Amino acid sequence: MSKRHFISSLLLIFPFIVLQAQQKYTLSGTVSEANSNETLIGVTIAFPSLKTGVTTNEYGFYSITLPEGEYNIVVSYLGFQDVRETITLNKDIKKDFNLLEKAEELEEVVVTDDAERLDIRKPQMSVNTLAAQTIKQIPVVLGEADVIKSLLLLPGVTNAGEASSGFNVRGGAVDQNLILLDEAVVFNSSHLFGFFSVFNPDAIKDVKLFKGGIPSRYGGRVSSVLEIFQKEGNSKEFKVNGGIGAVASRLLLEGPIEKERTAFLVGGRASYAHLFLPLFNVDDKAYFYDLNTKINHKINDRNSIFLSGYFGRDLFSINDSFINTYGNAVGNFRWNHLFSDKLFSNLSLIYSDYFYGLELDFVGFDWDSGIQNFNVKYDLKHYINDKLQLNYGLNNIYYVFNPGKIRPNSPDSGIVEEQLTKKYANENAIYVDVEHKISESLSVEYGLRASQFNRFGQDQFFVYENNNPVLFDPFTLVYKEAVPIDTINPGRGGTLKKFFNLEPRVSVSYNFNGQSSIKASYTRLAQYLHLLSNTSSPTPLDVWTPSGPFVEPQLLNQYAAGYFMNIKGGRYTFETEAFFKDIENRIDYIDGADLIANNAIEQVILNGEARAYGIEFLLRKNEGRLKGWLAYTLSRSEQRTPGRDLSAFGIDTGRSDLETGINFGEWYSTPYDKTHDLAVYGSYDLDDRWDLNANFIYQTGQPTNYPVGQFEFQGITVPYYGLRNKERLPDYHRLDVSATLTPRNNKGRRWQSEWVFSIYNVYARKNAASINFRENEDTGRNEAIRTSIFGIIPAVTYNFKF
Amino acid sequence: MRKILYPAVLGFLMLCSCEDVVNVDLPNEEPRLIVDGLLRVDKSQEYVNVEITMKETSNFFEENQPTQVESAVIAYGMPDEFGELTSLAFSSLAEREPGSGVYIPDPNFSSDQRIRTAAAEPGVVFILQITHKGRDYFARTEYAPTVPMDDLVQGDNTLFDEDETEMIVTFTDTPDQNDYYVFDFGFGEFLALDDQFFQGQQFQFSYFYQKKLQPGDEVTVSILGATQDFHNYVDLLVEQTQNNGGVFETPISTARGNVFDVTDLDNIDVFDNVEQPELFALGYFAVAQEFERTLTIQ
Repeated sequence: MSKRHFISSLLLIFPFIVLQAQQKYTLSGTVSEANSNETLIGVTIAFPSLKTGVTTNEYGFYSITLPEGEYNIVVSYLGFQDVRETITLNKDIKKDFNLLEKAEELEEVVVTDDAERLDIRKPQMSVNTLAAQTIKQIPVVLGEADVIKSLLLLPGVTNAGEASSGFNVRGGAVDQNLILLDEAVVFNSSHLFGFFSVFNPDAIKDVKLFKGGIPSRYGGRVSSVLEIFQKEGNSKEFKVNGGIGAVASRLLLEGPIEKERTAFLVGGRASYAHLFLPLFNVDDKAYFYDLNTKINHKINDRNSIFLSGYFGRDLFSINDSFINTYGNAVGNFRWNHLFSDKLFSNLSLIYSDYFYGLELDFVGFDWDSGIQNFNVKYDLKHYINDKLQLNYGLNNIYYVFNPGKIRPNSPDSGIVEEQLTKKYANENAIYVDVEHKISESLSVEYGLRASQFNRFGQDQFFVYENNNPVLFDPFTLVYKEAVPIDTINPGRGGTLKKFFNLEPRVSVSYNFNGQSSIKASYTRLAQYLHLLSNTSSPTPLDVWTPSGPFVEPQLLNQYAAGYFMNIKGGRYTFETEAFFKDIENRIDYIDGADLIANNAIEQVILNGEARAYGIEFLLRKNEGRLKGWLAYTLSRSEQRTPGRDLSAFGIDTGRSDLETGINFGEWYSTPYDKTHDLAVYGSYDLDDRWDLNANFIYQTGQPTNYPVGQFEFQGITVPYYGLRNKERLPDYHRLDVSATLTPRNNKGRRWQSEWVFSIYNVYARKNAASINFRENEDTGRNEAIRTSIFGIIPAVTYNFKF
Repeated sequence: MRKILYPAVLGFLMLCSCEDVVNVDLPNEEPRLIVDGLLRVDKSQEYVNVEITMKETSNFFEENQPTQVESAVIAYGMPDEFGELTSLAFSSLAEREPGSGVYIPDPNFSSDQRIRTAAAEPGVVFILQITHKGRDYFARTEYAPTVPMDDLVQGDNTLFDEDETEMIVTFTDTPDQNDYYVFDFGFGEFLALDDQFFQGQQFQFSYFYQKKLQPGDEVTVSILGATQDFHNYVDLLVEQTQNNGGVFETPISTARGNVFDVTDLDNIDVFDNVEQPELFALGYFAVAQEFERTLTIQ
């Protein structure tokens, strides 16, 4: 029934496809940077006389079909000189544009930041774009430019504080963000437990964050999509750039293999902070490195192929008694093919792998866990005319989950080698997405994604009495693990459980004179994977688990509405959005649940729900010597896990409320509930040598718990608590500044360099990462201990290119 | 066992964070009964050393004060084939010294109230009934046997800082059954283990003391048997008392033991505590076999 429903909705779209008027011709091509041939994403090709236009896609391609005629066109992009041309459209025309970067000394003064400026007419909302240039200017701790730390300055984006991995979007959890690097899913976005993100800013071309109104070509995570494209490599000349910083250094090489046709890019980054650790403790090590590689080859005008790879590892050891290694590896092959000047296609074959390994000498074992996936994606973009664009495609991902393998590390270790049961699953989806300009004022983007998740059989599967893996004691009110009554081997060929979901998406925009608009959107998303983590910020050793017989997929509904406005012809932009979202089947954990090395995770989880709502404001100044933005978000994020109705397990209790649930079934603040979130970023161009940047962040303190009392049991003094997350840590705020010095002698020479001086947390605020309570060993009295991660941190980085 | 995997993360944070003492206003709650009732069974002795401490909670920054109960009785016996306790023996408890809050088998009772270690056998159920300030409490547990340690030696490795003390424990797991263990390292330092990864094997592991020990200090290490529930409870206590410095904290929860309030349970209208979750006592009542070893720190 649901499939038929899906097909009929597909048919609904076809009336729009029927080709309309005659005498239309297509202008199409690719827009690239003139010096490197690097394709540019999101370049606007505008037709002022028709008040219409098109932007280039992820591969720099554009296509627009218009009635015969003579048109003035303007091609514009951030930091580049506009190209103005007159085109006589009396036949299909293929036209590539090469944009020249604005001259160095001018660049900082008159950057017209189109990519970051909001697009009034497009129905797409809740999206933020950051140019690699902006990311590099934002001051960060220890001077390392960082994609994810930059995102935190945007409205609706927070994280759990310093030294915490990932980021939270609109009150969503870290594992609900889909992070795509060149279309490959990245499972862990942090190095060194969150101090750095895994993306090398030198190798990045474009970063886009979808917080809502997510187009139907994306799926699989319910909170946001962070799409990152790496550079392709300079196909005109050999270039080097790099930087030397306080904790890490970078080097990136790119150049042509065959001029204008084949280019390569190799970028590496490594930290050396561990060199300083001996100052604290002789034998400890903590470092990371990552490697980005890419080759692209233009076969002909209609075909290009790309081969790219990412490999990153963190290594951390203490006294050689334990050694911990983890990281992502991603490899992908992509093929761009133009069927016609109106139909663009991309095929991606992607392999991605996340590995976590640990050697624990003092307990006598090695441990490794991870997740592998094989992804095939085929996406088509069909530019029907200037009013209608159709995106459709399909996607299949096969997953192998390794929850952990334990091995004795010496012959006399008592550990028995054990492979926790590997899990297998397949996720596939087809989607269609229509960008439809109904009138000059009204645009709609609507689409549908149909996703299916197949949890395959595994070697060992536990069977429980009444199919209930979690037991509850109605007297002591404690949940505990049920003991399996049987273990079966369903075999890998079969299916344990299948899920099918229809995910409709709609966005509407109505604009007034092209200077302001209102937009609204609805998004439904299904997420079939869950990160098993019950810490306030995920740790690298947390494992992912697929939906299956005991774990339902997370299902999201998000509603958003907003008002968008250009002020003074776009020198300023203002946007505000309100959102509401609810998520079914957010898993929660019974008290004291052990998630690591747990072969029967179903015994410690309960299905709950989550909701978040809020309002965001963003005011940007796009031009002039002083540029920047002010972002403010007022929001709430909560979850609850009520007691289960045991009649679902066929247990007749005569009552439906025989369980208390977690936190007595009441709503509680998620650890990433930040009532107020304010971020101000400014960049000031002082003169041709100095560039000043600053940002200020203020956030309501993170929800936490303070004990209502303590008790002793066998000499252990234990604090005890009331309901969850009722208290808050002190408010978080901090100011960072940086100054970039471009030496005068850069002019006219090949070697270009700059110095970046930065101070993180200028007024040395001791922001609490946590407040813990413990007994003072000397006085025997209890104390509240605040842990703060960073004080004031100055840093210097030297960047160069030639 | 699984907890052992966490230090990797914690250690790193310790290297780059700083700590200071702050003032925090804490919420308050009505005093609550605490029952510290772990009965350690040494089979080489004739009687079980029964000593149950009753206290009441106070503000977090203040000491718990001993409290007196109106009555405290232990009942024990082997359930029949239907799981019913048909024949029970009783041990009536009385306060050892007035005001101490420590309850022992009543020496002034008309008959001997002590419990023989011979009565503690696998499968035997122990029930503790308490009346305190007009409310009735109840706890039920099963005797948990265990195995002796094969060896206990001091090691010379350290984990995070130079003056840590390493204790190397060796014991042999009973094959073909799921076993739970609780180790008492003294000074309020405990560890809960299950045999998932060393089923039926001789197993050796290192424990690093949180407390700084001096040469000449005498330490006693105990291995105790545990039911799954008691293992979970100790595991939760250890987790909640570990000061792991922040962002990798697990969500808090009150460590609820097995002593619950039965005053309102009339089995007519009220069968359970689901609708009165605020009524419970803290602490735990467990009966576990124990083996000890003592060592002098070098």
